[in-house]
Amino acid sequence: MDLMTVDKLNFFYGRHQALKSVNLPIRKNAITSLIGPSGCGKTTLLRCFNRMHDLYPGNRYEGRISLRDQNILSGDIDLISLRSRLGMVFQKPTPFPMSVFDNIAYGLRLRKVKNKNALAERVEKALKQAALWDEVKDRLGDNAAGLSGGQQQRLVIARTLAVEPEVILFDESTSALDPISTQKIEELMVELKKEVTIVAVTHNMQQAARVSDYTALMYLGELMEYGDTKSIFTRPKHKMTEEYVSGRFG
Amino acid sequence: MRHLKPRKAVNALIMTLATLCAALGLFLLFIILFDVLRNGLKAIDWNLFLRDPAPPTMAGAGGLKSAFLGQGLLTLTAALIGVPIGVLGGTYLAEYGRHKKISRAISILSDIAVSIPSIVIGAFVYAILVNPFGSYNGWAGAVALAVIILPIIIRTTEDMINMVPWALREAAFAMGAPYHRVIWGIVYRSAAGGIFTGVLLAIARIAGETAPLLFTSFNSNFFRLNLSGPVPSLTVSIYQYAASPYENWVSMAWAAAFVVTCFVLFLNIVGRLAIKLRVKG
Repeated sequence: MDLMTVDKLNFFYGRHQALKSVNLPIRKNAITSLIGPSGCGKTTLLRCFNRMHDLYPGNRYEGRISLRDQNILSGDIDLISLRSRLGMVFQKPTPFPMSVFDNIAYGLRLRKVKNKNALAERVEKALKQAALWDEVKDRLGDNAAGLSGGQQQRLVIARTLAVEPEVILFDESTSALDPISTQKIEELMVELKKEVTIVAVTHNMQQAARVSDYTALMYLGELMEYGDTKSIFTRPKHKMTEEYVSGRFG
Repeated sequence: MRHLKPRKAVNALIMTLATLCAALGLFLLFIILFDVLRNGLKAIDWNLFLRDPAPPTMAGAGGLKSAFLGQGLLTLTAALIGVPIGVLGGTYLAEYGRHKKISRAISILSDIAVSIPSIVIGAFVYAILVNPFGSYNGWAGAVALAVIILPIIIRTTEDMINMVPWALREAAFAMGAPYHRVIWGIVYRSAAGGIFTGVLLAIARIAGETAPLLFTSFNSNFFRLNLSGPVPSLTVSIYQYAASPYENWVSMAWAAAFVVTCFVLFLNIVGRLAIKLRVKG
């Protein structure tokens, strides 16, 4: 089942058109990876899903992105509630300048969860889901900046999970991590898709092949090819897709 | 290659001149500090902080208690006026107004305002807060000091906030936080140390000011917790006592100058140390 559909999406940074008539389904409880050479628009597309582009003046969307049949590009959508339905994990870890506990509780407190027991319960649950609980349970009061890079990235995932989003958007979230931390995050993504839908931008072909169920290849702002990951990597329809996934270009 | 020799000579000449000038500047600075230290230490005792001025004929019995209290009250009030306006102004420049031309203009004007002579600010405040009311008053003094620190705090806040990476704000926005929560919970928290240091250095800047107070709160012998009349001021007292013909008043001025110098030095050292520690950490 498709949780989201992108329908004839055009996106403009001022006059520059960065996305050209993109059509793409996002299947529920699956991992969809967006791949393509630098500047192809994959991050731009990802940032359309939670309307991050609205933070900067001059950006413009055309077309439609539906989330459960609701057009999230329409003007009257409430961005604050939209962004609590679609969490985002960035390229570099972004721990907030506060304790581990307060980091995870941040989104809950935004949503007026004040009861101490409820907060503690949901913080623990989120940290367990992100496979970080055992490492930080004795240092919940410590500043999150003291965690390692891989732990910080799982902290950000836990922070996102705490508000129970429907979708998590990963923006090259392992590119700044060492191989072991990367592996942990990948395992986590596979585990998490039971509960949430994942869209991941990645530069790493092997990662896309390992973890994702569906893969979309983008080039110069257009969607070149979309399909289940196995066929994209073994029987691509386009010659360019084959060259890209085999590392001959990009 | 033929030109190498004259170039080297010019280089040596300029370097010698620059070194000499730096040495001259430092030398004068040390003479002033040494003089304040020598005369101040000789004259300082507890009475300086505990008593009010005695008539010049009673040698060694007076102090500047009221002047210390008055200076403290003026500085505190100035900070209470200037810090919130400055921090919020700097926040506007770095956040809400960051793409606007007016922000750039305010930023540049603030840089210029930092170097306005403080006596000009004193005269300006005299015109709007002393002249119309017919008497020197503490509010005018506090406002004059607040006007002096305002551009410093605006610019420090702007710079410190700009140092907070955008990725951190985006992460908070992505959690569904509205802008004011992002600023309050994330940006201020990251920039707090830097803003605090800026406030400290700004207060150090006004703690030793005399000129803006001469025209505004002037001076008084008696401290009251009331800013509607003249307020005793340490720096103005130093100015008046140092120029008096009485030996014990002059030595009191030295002692007070010593205390003010130490206080300003202390604030500056704490402020710069904080900057250094943060850059390392």
